[in-house]
Amino acid sequence: MLSNLDRKLLRDLNRMKGQVVAVALVMACGLAMLVMARSLIFSLESTRQEYYEAHRFAEVFAHLKRAPNALAARVAELPGVATAQAGIAVQVTLDLAGLDEPASGQVRSLPDFGPPELNRLFLRTGSWLAPGSRGELLVSEAFAEANQLHPGDQLAMLLNGRRKEFRIAGLVLSPEIIFEARPGASLPDNRTYGTFWMPYKEIATAFDLYGAFNYLTLTLAPGAQLRSVIAAVDRLLEPYGGRGAYGRADHPSHIRVSDEIRILQTLSIGFPIVFLSVAAFMTNAVLSRLLTLQREQIAILKAFGFANRQIVLHYLKFAFVMVVGGAVVGTLGGVALGHRLVVMYHLFFRFPDLYFRFDRSAVVLALGVGVGAALLGVLSAVRRAARLPPAEAMRPEPPASFRPALVERTGIGHLFSHSFRIAVRNLERRPAQALFTVAGLALATGILIVPNCFRDSVSELLGFQWDVVQRQDMNLGLVEPAGVQVRDLLRQLPGVIAVEPFRGAAARIRFGHRSRQIGIQGTPADTQHSRVVDAWYREIVLPSEGLVVSAKLAEVLAAKVGDELTVQFLEGRRPVRTVPLVGVSEDLTGIAAHMELRALNHLLGDGDVMNGASFTLDMARRREFLHALKQIPRVSWVGIKESLRDNFRQTTAASINLIQSIYLTFAIVVAFGVVYNNARISLAERARELATLRVIGFSEREVGAVLITELTILALIALPLGLLLGTGFANGIVSAVNTETVRLPVIFTLHNYAFATMVVVLASTISALLVLRRLKQLNLVSALKAPE
Amino acid sequence: METLTPQNLAAAGRPQVFHVRGLTKVYGMGAAEVHALAGVDLDLYAGELAVLLGPSGSGKTTLLNNLGGLDLPTAGELRYRDFDLTLASETELTRYRRDAVGFVFQFYNLIPSLTARENVALITEIARDPMPPEEALHMVNLGARLDHFPAQLSGGEQQRVAIARAIAKRPEVLLCDEPTGALDVRTGIVVLEAIERVNRELGTLTVVITHNAVMAGMADRVIHFSDGRVQHEHRNPTRAPASSLNW
Repeated sequence: MLSNLDRKLLRDLNRMKGQVVAVALVMACGLAMLVMARSLIFSLESTRQEYYEAHRFAEVFAHLKRAPNALAARVAELPGVATAQAGIAVQVTLDLAGLDEPASGQVRSLPDFGPPELNRLFLRTGSWLAPGSRGELLVSEAFAEANQLHPGDQLAMLLNGRRKEFRIAGLVLSPEIIFEARPGASLPDNRTYGTFWMPYKEIATAFDLYGAFNYLTLTLAPGAQLRSVIAAVDRLLEPYGGRGAYGRADHPSHIRVSDEIRILQTLSIGFPIVFLSVAAFMTNAVLSRLLTLQREQIAILKAFGFANRQIVLHYLKFAFVMVVGGAVVGTLGGVALGHRLVVMYHLFFRFPDLYFRFDRSAVVLALGVGVGAALLGVLSAVRRAARLPPAEAMRPEPPASFRPALVERTGIGHLFSHSFRIAVRNLERRPAQALFTVAGLALATGILIVPNCFRDSVSELLGFQWDVVQRQDMNLGLVEPAGVQVRDLLRQLPGVIAVEPFRGAAARIRFGHRSRQIGIQGTPADTQHSRVVDAWYREIVLPSEGLVVSAKLAEVLAAKVGDELTVQFLEGRRPVRTVPLVGVSEDLTGIAAHMELRALNHLLGDGDVMNGASFTLDMARRREFLHALKQIPRVSWVGIKESLRDNFRQTTAASINLIQSIYLTFAIVVAFGVVYNNARISLAERARELATLRVIGFSEREVGAVLITELTILALIALPLGLLLGTGFANGIVSAVNTETVRLPVIFTLHNYAFATMVVVLASTISALLVLRRLKQLNLVSALKAPE
Repeated sequence: METLTPQNLAAAGRPQVFHVRGLTKVYGMGAAEVHALAGVDLDLYAGELAVLLGPSGSGKTTLLNNLGGLDLPTAGELRYRDFDLTLASETELTRYRRDAVGFVFQFYNLIPSLTARENVALITEIARDPMPPEEALHMVNLGARLDHFPAQLSGGEQQRVAIARAIAKRPEVLLCDEPTGALDVRTGIVVLEAIERVNRELGTLTVVITHNAVMAGMADRVIHFSDGRVQHEHRNPTRAPASSLNW
C-alpha cells in the first residue's frame, strides 16, 4: 500500500516531469558513456586475454636471417624461457586474378604434423591442412573477406621468384594478427596485404631454408624477467642475423589493441565526470526549487509530527527516482552504443569471437556514481529544509536580496535596459546556478568539437602523408637489393612518367641508453617523391651524410641535432656506425629516419643499390602498368596511394560518423536539458515577478525577453568557454592516439567551431522556446494572490 | 446620507470611466460551478475615490481583475470609456493595462532584482506619457530611498514603491487590492495617505477594495459588495483624511 507521502512524491514527480526527464537524460549520457567505455574495455581486454591464453600467444618475438633448427633447442634452455617455437616467416608477392595491383603478404610455417605450440590458429571456415599435404594453405580471414576468397579457391603467389598455385583449405585467425597491417604501415589494407600459413616443409623448401628457421617466438617461465630473456635471446641470435627480439609491448598487433583500450579509458573517466557533475547540479536546482515551493508543506508536515528523517528521505526519494531513471536509460544506451561500436571494431580487430560483454561492475559503478552525484546535489537543499523551524517555514520567505551587478558597478550601468539589469542581477545572485548552466552548455559545445577535430586531423594527416610527403602514385619493393640500373628497367614500363630509387635498411638506432628498431629510408637528395619536410612543411634537402629523423624518434631517443647516434644495421654485413643527427623532420605516421641514398649505401658498405622504387604514373595507363608489373618476379610488394587512401577514408569515415552521431546526440541532450531546466526553474521561481510584469502592461514577448536575456548572457559566456573546453578535450583525446605509429596533428577549423556553436545555439533556442510557451499559461490572477 | 445614482454623478460633470451591467463570472462547470460575480451593475467616474467593501470571498477581487483587464467575464457588459473590454484581444488587453491602469496589490509584487527607482522606471519606459520615476517616488514620500532594493525596504515602503510604480504612467484608473492587508495600522495609514494624495493631486479614478470597513471613511463613494453583486452604495458628504483613520 502506497503511503500518502509516497503518493505526494508521485504527484510531485508528475508535475515536474519535464525537469525530472531532463536531469535523468543528462545523467544517462554520462552513465551511457561510462557503461559503454567500461564494457568495451572489458570486452576487449577479456576477449584478448582469453584468446591469448587459449591460443597460446607468445611473449617474445624475434626475426633473424637464418639459424639451424638446433639453435631453437638452445633458446628453449635459456633461463626464463618456458616454450620456444621456431618457424619461418617470409614476404611473398601474390597474384590475385580479380585485383589490378599486386598484393603481397607474409607466409608463416606450421609444423608438418600436429598443431603449433605457440600462436595457435583459430579455424573460421574450411579445414585444417591435411598432415603432409602440399599445395594447400590457410588464409587470414580479413584478407580472404576483402578479396572474397573461400575455402577451395585457388590462390597464386610468387615464392622466392617462382609462381605457384595453392588451394585455400581454410580461413583462419591468429592471435598474432588481431590487427593486421603491412609491417611499418599504420593502417590496414586487407585487400593487398594478407597472412598465409603452409607446412614447414613446403615453405622451407621454396626458400632454401629447410632445417633452419628465421622466426622465433617464445613464452616466459613464471617469474622470468622479460628484459633479461630478450638480452639472452639477442646474444644467441646475433651471429645468425638476429634483428633484435621484442616483447608484447612492441608487438604491432598487441600495441594497437592496447592503444584502443587506453583511449577508452580516457573516455570512461573524463566525460562521465563532467556529465555527472552537470547532472548533480541540475538535481540540486530541481530539488531546491521543489523545497522552496513546498516550504509551507514541510512546515505543516513537521508541525504534525513528521521527523526530519522522514522528510529528508521523502526528498531523497525524489532524487533517487531521477538517478534510477538515468541509470536505466544510461545503461541501456551504453549497451546499445557498445553493441554498435563492437561491430565497428570488426573493421580493425579480428577476434574469433568479439562480442559485447556487458561489464556488470560498470552498472554498479554507474549507479553508485549517479547516486553520489545526486546526493551531492540534493544534500544541501534537503538539509536546509530539515533545519527549517515549522513556524518560520509557514511564513513566506522574505524578498531575495539583490544588489547592482558587477558590470553595473563599473559605471556603465546606466547603459543597460531594465530587462538586462534584471537578468545580470539574477545571475549574480545565483552564481552556482549560472555557473552550472554555463558548464553544461560549455560541455555540450565542447564535446561537439572532438569528433570533428578527429575528422579534420585525420584528413590533415592524409593530406600531409599523401600530398606533402609522398608525392608518388605508387611504391614497390624488391625481393632483394639490386643495382640502381634496375631503375632504367622500371622506367621502360608502360605509363611511367618518373621513377626514383630508394632503399630501406633495417637498423637499430641507439642514443645513450635509448634505442629503437626502425627501417632507415634512403632516397636521392633531390627526391620529388618521398619528400622529407620540417614542422612547417618546408622541404629538407638530405645532406650527403648524417641522419634526419622524425621529431617523434628524436623525442623517443632524447636526441637533438648535432648528437652522434649509433646505428646498428640488422642486414647485410650488419655494420655498426656512428652517424650524426643532422635534422629533425615532421612525420605523422610515426618514427622514421631518412638518409641520402648514396650515404646509406656507403654506410652499409654497398655500391649503388636500391630495394624499392617510387613512381609517378600516367593514371590513364595504370592497368597496363600494373599488368606489366605482375610479370616482374623480383617485386615483393606494391603500394598504390589511391587505393590506400580510399580504403582508409572508408574505414575511418564509418567509425568517425558513428562517434560523431553519438557525441551529437549527447551534446543536444545536454544543451537542451540544461537550458530547459534553467528556464523552467526561472519561470517557476519568478512566476510572480513575471506575472506582475504582465499585469502592469508588459507583453508576453517583453516578459519572455527577460528570461531570454538571462539565457543569452549565459550562452555568450558558455560558447567561447565550450570551444576552449572542446579544444582541450580534443587535444587530450587526439593526442592519446599519439603513438609511435600514428601521430595525429591536432587540427581545429573554423568550420568545426561554427558547427558546434550552431548546434548548441539551435538546441538551446528550441528548448528555451518550448519553455517560453508556458508564459502563455502563466496565471496572472493566481500568481498575484499570495507571495511564495 | 444621500443615495447616489449614476445620473447624479454624471450631472456633477464627471465623465464615466467604467460602465458595468449584469456582469457575471462563473468558475468551474456543472455541480462545481461558482458564481464569483452574479450580475454586477456599477458605474465609476473620473477622479472619484471609491472603496469597494465586502467580506472575503464576496467576489470583489474578481471584479477588480475584470476591471483591470486581467480576467474576462463570463457574461455581461464591461466598458472602459468606449472600449468594450469583453471583446478585447490579449494584445489589446496588454495595451490597456500598459496605458490606462495602475495596479497596487496586497503583496506589493515588486521586482526584487530592481531598485525602487528602477521598479518605477520599468513602467515609465513603456508608458505613453509618464512622469519621472523620482517624481512618482517623491509623491509617496520615498524620495530618500530611490536606490534601495525591495529587500532593503519595509513592507510599507515596498507598498509605496508599488503605488509610485502604478501612478508613474499617469493612469486613468488606479486599482488597489487590499493595499494595507499585509501592513500594521501605522504603516497602513501612510500607504493610504499616499493613495489619497495621488487621487487628489492627479485626479485618478481610484478603486480600493478592502474588507476593512474603517477605510470607507476616506472614500467619495462606498460600494458594499457581497455574494458577487453590489448590495448598496452610499456617498460620504466629506472625505475623512486617511491620517484620521484607525482600526
